[in-house]
Amino acid sequence: MKMKRQLASSLAIAFSTLAIWSCNQSDPAPKGDYISGVFVSNEGNFQDNNGGISYFARESTTADADIFAAANGTALKGGVQDYAASEEQGIILVDNSVTGQDKVQFVHRYTFKDEGTIGAPDIENPREVVIVGRKAYVSCWGTDVDKYSTGYIAVIDLTTKKVTKKINVSDGPENLTYANAKLYVGTTQWGVGNKLAIINTNSDEATSPIATPGIANPVGIDANGKLWVNVGDKMLRINTETNATEATLPIATGGTKTAGNFTLSNDLKSIFFVLSWYDSAFKEHGATYKFSISDTQIAMVTPLIPRPFYGLAVDPSQGLLYAGVSPSYKQAGYAVRYRADGSLVDSVKVGIAPSGFFFQ
Amino acid sequence: MHPKNRKITANSLRFSVFTILRFVRYSILWASFAFTVTAYAQKDSIALDPVTVKGFVPQKFMSGLKIQRIDSASLTQVRYQNIGDVLSAYTPIAFKNYGPGQLSTASFRGTSANHTAVLWNGLNINAPTLGQTDFSTIPVAGFDQLSVQYGSAASVVGSDAVGGSILLESRASATPFHVSDGRQRESFRNHQSRTDVRYAARLSDQWAFSGKTALYNGRMNNDYPKPTRNTYALLPTETFQKGIVQDLFLLSRNDQEISVHAWLTDNKLTLTPDDVQGREMTRTTAYRTMVRYQVRTLTLRTAWVRDIIDYAKGDLANPDHSVTDKFSSRIEKDFTLNIGGDLNPVAVKTGGEWTHYRSRVPGYARSPVSENRTDFFLLTRWQPTARVTTSFNLRQGLVTGFNPPFTPSVGLEYGLIQKTLYNLVAKGSYGRSYRVPTLNERYWKDLGNPDIRPETGWNKEIGLEQTFKAAFGGTLRTSATFYHNRIKDWTYWNPTRNYRVENLQQVLARGIELQLNYQHQTGPWRTGLEAGYAFNKSSQEKAYDNYSQDIIGKQLVYVPEHTANANAFVQFKSTKLTGQLQAASKRYTTFDNSQFLDGYGLLNLLAEHTFAFYKFKLVLQGQVRNITDTFYLNVRNNAMPGRSFALSLTFSYDSQ
Repeated sequence: MKMKRQLASSLAIAFSTLAIWSCNQSDPAPKGDYISGVFVSNEGNFQDNNGGISYFARESTTADADIFAAANGTALKGGVQDYAASEEQGIILVDNSVTGQDKVQFVHRYTFKDEGTIGAPDIENPREVVIVGRKAYVSCWGTDVDKYSTGYIAVIDLTTKKVTKKINVSDGPENLTYANAKLYVGTTQWGVGNKLAIINTNSDEATSPIATPGIANPVGIDANGKLWVNVGDKMLRINTETNATEATLPIATGGTKTAGNFTLSNDLKSIFFVLSWYDSAFKEHGATYKFSISDTQIAMVTPLIPRPFYGLAVDPSQGLLYAGVSPSYKQAGYAVRYRADGSLVDSVKVGIAPSGFFFQ
Repeated sequence: MHPKNRKITANSLRFSVFTILRFVRYSILWASFAFTVTAYAQKDSIALDPVTVKGFVPQKFMSGLKIQRIDSASLTQVRYQNIGDVLSAYTPIAFKNYGPGQLSTASFRGTSANHTAVLWNGLNINAPTLGQTDFSTIPVAGFDQLSVQYGSAASVVGSDAVGGSILLESRASATPFHVSDGRQRESFRNHQSRTDVRYAARLSDQWAFSGKTALYNGRMNNDYPKPTRNTYALLPTETFQKGIVQDLFLLSRNDQEISVHAWLTDNKLTLTPDDVQGREMTRTTAYRTMVRYQVRTLTLRTAWVRDIIDYAKGDLANPDHSVTDKFSSRIEKDFTLNIGGDLNPVAVKTGGEWTHYRSRVPGYARSPVSENRTDFFLLTRWQPTARVTTSFNLRQGLVTGFNPPFTPSVGLEYGLIQKTLYNLVAKGSYGRSYRVPTLNERYWKDLGNPDIRPETGWNKEIGLEQTFKAAFGGTLRTSATFYHNRIKDWTYWNPTRNYRVENLQQVLARGIELQLNYQHQTGPWRTGLEAGYAFNKSSQEKAYDNYSQDIIGKQLVYVPEHTANANAFVQFKSTKLTGQLQAASKRYTTFDNSQFLDGYGLLNLLAEHTFAFYKFKLVLQGQVRNITDTFYLNVRNNAMPGRSFALSLTFSYDSQ
């Protein structure tokens, strides 16, 4: 299951909030229909190329299902893999089922008006985006999705809207975490990765990766500045100065369950995740758990929420947990809101296969 | 003029000039060949007694059901195209189309792609693995006669005939020697060619022989002048299609007939062919062969069909290769049953069909898999009075591992008004339908389900047909049909279960069809109109999980509620102008109807002129497709092409 890294979005918003705040001294208030609310990335059904971005104000229980289509009169024409925004620019990763049709779609952040695209061959199978200053880093699998031999990080200059560099990353680059001029790059769970790539965002060069005992999936930086990385049925806590693994916490997967959708709480002191598995009839089962960064083991006795989700994120402004529910790839999904203690607030119908959230 | 339009016009002009020059050379070559053949054919040809070939599908036992025959002039007009183009223009069948030259499946009367039986000379040619036909792989060149039977006819046809059946048939040649050859050039560097030779000869006092050999070859390069329309991509694809059809008939005066039929067809589709790593190739090859022997009231038929599907992505040299063989034998016997008194006798047909499947598919849990299916049927037709025709049919299928339901049907036609100039007939039928699970549904690794149940449904329909023989100086026929078809155990590759196949749905499809046909002739002028409208409401009736409240009662995906089609022509002597309209309302793409593809209407214009001299004919035809440059999307969410052009030249010689 493809997982979304919300930390990337949270970081992007942190940066952009900073940027807006600093600009606010002189700039007038932003204008547009989508100024303050929740943006949901809907993957859509792969062959139907019908993903989109849904939007709702926090106090609302109904969403605009596809705001790009509403603003531009034309759909994104693919699944949405990720969304991030900075200053007045939004950046959407669009994945089409046919090679050569994938793209990065730029939009005006508050109106969602089309501001241009970057397509093939610069962008092939984009997975996730992180914005650092005036640059965006997009993990891409490239064209080879069998052996993942063609993966790279596309570095985009947000001013010229051009890919300025492709940094090769093996095994299918996927989840991204940024901290202190370092971009940590995980790899797809469908590949055979065994390391966490690191890119220096000043030089845009790869530095020595961190060897991991399996496929690396970076989760984020906690309140103590430690990097958390999921590797199969383990959580690693890594010192970002030395790149040394300081702690390894096992997740009781029983060998058959899969952990995913990791996301940090607002105070960066807890981590939420989903543990799920399929029975012989491919029915999905599972639950959502929470552990503290100071725990010495991950308690799995009582789940926070007794059901699995397709996506998970925490709203930095209210602290509510947003969970994506996808009943099937052939019908609209829901964003379900929970309080930090796991109690249900409400749900909002969104697009197909909601997997990522961006808060603004 | 918009710069884009100007460019299209310039392109088409250049294309026309090129085509005409090429055709002139081409036809000279063919003319010289034809003259030599003529000399030979004329010497030998002997006028044949008309010997009628009996139909391959027992349509006379389908009383109460609606059958639409597409006339041969209409088929000739689109001789270089695929069957989907004909069906869209003449019937309310909706197509789920992935793009030009790409997968195109039918939704007949609100059902899914698995619910239309496609019969070639009475044999179901739906791919046994998929249980459906890709209509983009069936060219008009492959058959001589096309009929469309609406609604369930499972008791006569068998499995898959839930929404309706498409009947493709070969016809014995009536002329001693006929050859036609031609080529069509289309926009986007697409072209099609086709050659047909028909022949007939008397072998002895008893026996006559006739046959047909047809070759077709098409290449769709789809070189669109621009890669997008309204910002939506026109997906780069290529489709190459070629095939050969061979029919041989031996007919005797003492009511014996032997016929041999073979149809080899090959269709290769490549998506994004220039992208060496991302391109996707699907090659569909079918070898269809059949021998049929009929002596008076007994008919024996044996057939072998091999369906091959090769699929590859990136490296096209080593595709996934799946092969399915189908061996089928059928015996049927006709009786006349006297039921005493002054009552008219009952026509009875009884028989059985045995089919063996053997399939090697890389995705199956085991390979090869094999399966036997047997069907027994008893069909009756009775006309107690001149006004009434009834059919009562029974069928029982037997399949390895499980059995489909016993399948009865009853049909009635009643002549309400039978006058010289006006006829009104009421029709009705009630019958059970079923669909045997496909091989993929049973044997696909992990996602298939060996215990899947066959689908079963009950179809009811009632209709009125009227004929005015002198309306506005011509003949006017109209019909209205209402149907109601409930299908249980509808199988479904369930997206909530990683697309594992399950019997999850109960679907109710109901609707109304209106059709109109008008023909008029005065002196050298002929005019005609054929129009249809259908309303199809097809929805899921039963729930299966917590979120299904979003789905119950909603229209099925890719089934438009409204479809309309019209064909109107004006002919003066040898010049004919035809307009075609096909329209469909929005098609939902999600089960909860939260997303849809917009409705659209397409208008095509065909103009042709036939130059006749001696026994030769030259037909020059031009087409403008999508004349209004309507923008619409296919199911991949890619744009379909705008206005385009086709020009064809067909040369023919007939010895009679």
